[in-house]
Amino acid sequence: MYDEIRIVYEIISAILCFILVKFMIKPYAVTGESRYLGLPLGFGFLGATYAFSAFLYFQPYFFGRQSLYLQLVVRAFAFMFLTMTYYFSRKKAKDSRFLWNITITVLLVGLIITLLLLLSIPADVLPSYQLMSIFIRVFNLICIIYLCAHTLRSHIEAPDPETIWIPLAYILLGVSQYSLLIWIVDSSLFAFFAALAIRWASLAIFLFVSYRTFYCIEKRRSNEANCTERPIENLR
Amino acid sequence: MKQIARRDRLKIYGDLLSILYAENKEGKIVLTRIQVQMRVPFDRLKTYISELIDLGLIQDETSLKLTEKGKQYLAEYKKVLDFMKRMGITYK
Repeated sequence: MYDEIRIVYEIISAILCFILVKFMIKPYAVTGESRYLGLPLGFGFLGATYAFSAFLYFQPYFFGRQSLYLQLVVRAFAFMFLTMTYYFSRKKAKDSRFLWNITITVLLVGLIITLLLLLSIPADVLPSYQLMSIFIRVFNLICIIYLCAHTLRSHIEAPDPETIWIPLAYILLGVSQYSLLIWIVDSSLFAFFAALAIRWASLAIFLFVSYRTFYCIEKRRSNEANCTERPIENLR
Repeated sequence: MKQIARRDRLKIYGDLLSILYAENKEGKIVLTRIQVQMRVPFDRLKTYISELIDLGLIQDETSLKLTEKGKQYLAEYKKVLDFMKRMGITYK
């Protein structure tokens, strides 16, 4: 019963992430700035790990024990991509472009090497999953705290009711990671399902902000245009 | 080097298009006023304008009105800037 619920949770999280990739790629597509590639990569990898988790609950022994480590590591890299994007966004494009290109290359090469190592090393040699999971989730939490601080700072610098949603989404993502940490230490099922539900809420906020930016403004503009056209139609 | 030029151009194109759009709404376009708002030398402004004409984003050099393609680009550009602002990302 629990496994089915987990699968549903993970699949929906993955779908939300993949939809978000479609929006997150737009800053890169319009500005041509490679430093914004971290956003679609981050959410893409997050979505991939959620989809992989769902598959693992469905087929736990398909890839062996290494698959558990695999999703942990990829998720950490996803958060690193997001953190690096935010970090470099504050720097001037001219100065940071070279450094960003090196960073993204190092991250991608690092990810590939780690995955290859994980797949080639026998499962018995790998460190305890629980221990590794704690370390990686603490690392993820640090990345998310940075993201919260960065987005909150941007909101404080230019206060706008529209910019408060993203810090809130990152805070929820952080709470979700913290709940997962409690689940690993305490084995509390409540913490586990709370973490998944909070993650949904967080991803839903990201989606809400993206949808509002790209579609609601368009709708509002066309409504305004209709409003100005209507009196003329009535006169006729 | 080529990449730097590309980024700068895109931002400049976006800024120039939004200024032209606003100025067109007000009425007659004065190039020196646009130059002041853009903070670029006059000869470079002329180059950017002819590049925008070549790209099909502006109609011609006299009216400097935005084409449909120009309006679409400007709308997308503004939406992306708004999205980045909401995401807490600055575009420098």
